[in-house]
Amino acid sequence: MKNIINSTVSGIALAAMAAGSVSAQCTNEVWNRVMERGKVVIGVKADYKPWGFRDENGNLVGMEIDMANDVAAKMGVDVELVPVQSSNRMQFLEQGKIDMMIATMSDRADRREIVGIPGPNYYTSGTNVMAPKALGFSKWEDLSGKKVCGKQGAFYNQIVEERYGVEIVAFTGNAEAKQALRDKKCVAWVYDDSSIGSDLSSGNWDEFEMPLNSEDDNPWGLAVPLDEVNCVFGNFMSGMQYNWHRDGTLIELEAKWGIKPTAYLADKNERYGDWLE
Amino acid sequence: MRRIPGVNAPAAGGMAVLKPFDVQKHVPDGYIFTRWVANLPWWTPFLVLMVMAIWPTLAYAQSRYSTAEAFEALWRWMPFLIKSGFFFNVLISLLAMAIGTVAGAALGLGQISLHRPVRAFAWFITQLFRNSPWLVILFIVLLAFPFEISVFGTSVRIPDWIKGVIGLSLPVMANISEVVRGAVQSVPTAQWEAAESLAFTRRQVLWQIILPQCYKRMLPPWMNWYAILTMATPLCSLLGIEELITLSRQAMESEDNHPELLVPFFGFALLLFFLYCYPIARLTIRLERKFAVKL
Repeated sequence: MKNIINSTVSGIALAAMAAGSVSAQCTNEVWNRVMERGKVVIGVKADYKPWGFRDENGNLVGMEIDMANDVAAKMGVDVELVPVQSSNRMQFLEQGKIDMMIATMSDRADRREIVGIPGPNYYTSGTNVMAPKALGFSKWEDLSGKKVCGKQGAFYNQIVEERYGVEIVAFTGNAEAKQALRDKKCVAWVYDDSSIGSDLSSGNWDEFEMPLNSEDDNPWGLAVPLDEVNCVFGNFMSGMQYNWHRDGTLIELEAKWGIKPTAYLADKNERYGDWLE
Repeated sequence: MRRIPGVNAPAAGGMAVLKPFDVQKHVPDGYIFTRWVANLPWWTPFLVLMVMAIWPTLAYAQSRYSTAEAFEALWRWMPFLIKSGFFFNVLISLLAMAIGTVAGAALGLGQISLHRPVRAFAWFITQLFRNSPWLVILFIVLLAFPFEISVFGTSVRIPDWIKGVIGLSLPVMANISEVVRGAVQSVPTAQWEAAESLAFTRRQVLWQIILPQCYKRMLPPWMNWYAILTMATPLCSLLGIEELITLSRQAMESEDNHPELLVPFFGFALLLFFLYCYPIARLTIRLERKFAVKL
């Protein structure tokens, strides 16, 4: 009897050890599935010009869509683009609705617990506000206690609220938020500095300015399933991003889509540049 | 000529007469919204569009992006918005109505079942979904339902819009259930008694005698609910389903999010829904008048 118990206990212990060692290994489940069906499903933005948006025929286009197509080409599979929103993109990846995403997502510590974000980051942007020149804001503290329009799902809404005591009024769409700014329902519009910069240079916002120093300069990350960030998928995407930096693809795409050149991309291009060239 | 009271002269004494009770005047109008829509003149949305076209030119005269440019952008996007957006709303409404009608009919018959537990259960489900906000039901269905179900070993994916269809069909089901129950109960009890005296079974009475009389009176409220459902489909945009409103937002993003775009684009959505629902509302009210029980 004792023997039986002993052997049962040791059997369970062995099984547990085996299970433990298996879970530490890479199963590459999603990667293998992509290879098997010959198609990768990539989540991209459809409401974030010029990163991901629609043309008049409804096709998805933009800088991140070009990147997504390049990923599929290098994997040697077809691509299916699925439009995602800031509020549901991580759930889509977790649930397996998409295999990976390139969706203007800021790389944050809390997000890395949910999805796998392989380095090096492909872009960066800071937080700033667009405000009427007449109000003459010069520092973030000036916004304290005032209403500021924002976009739902942006991580910096909460940061700005807590740090400077502003009251964020979040909208689902940028057009609605900017209309609210014009209607004086809020004193400023908090958003990515690169997007505000292109708005101001369009000439339709002459009475407005971007008066503050950009804050929380935050790199963007593409994402793969959390279990595979240190396996084939994550390492492959690291390689893709490294090469995009190294051969200047990202700088070319930035120019192609009319994005203001950032020091970040120039700096990364120089750092990762080929020493023989 | 001789005056005869009550014939060619007022009756002597002018006695008070109890006139028949006008039920219609004292019953809450279930068609209040449909009646309102049906009574709008057909040119209403065009008037709204006219006002919209003039108003921004006055309000945003300081901006460089003109209303004409905004309408030009809308013109370019129209085919896509109608084909990929509005037709999808119509598809969602048709499917939700089909599911809601079948399930609602079953639930409505459950409400008049002779078995007390069945009756109580059907009543509870009906009240639960009739009295819950549509958006809440939609969110629960979207978040609680698995995105993948396995049937006989093969996993089948449920796209979000199917969940939207299910979420919208639940409140429709509950309201159709009430329509069915009300229609069956509105058939005079003499019909039941007469049928029973002819030795029909309960099932035969229901299917062959009562329900055929109900179809006519169920049609107007059924169409009423279809119009309401169609107008509720933009709720799906809050769940990220790519219907007309979601695509309008994306189109505005592609046109650089000028606030001047808001009125033309959302106005266009309003116009589409009006053009679709207005004939339904008119027809509903006409049928309702035609089939109204005359006392």
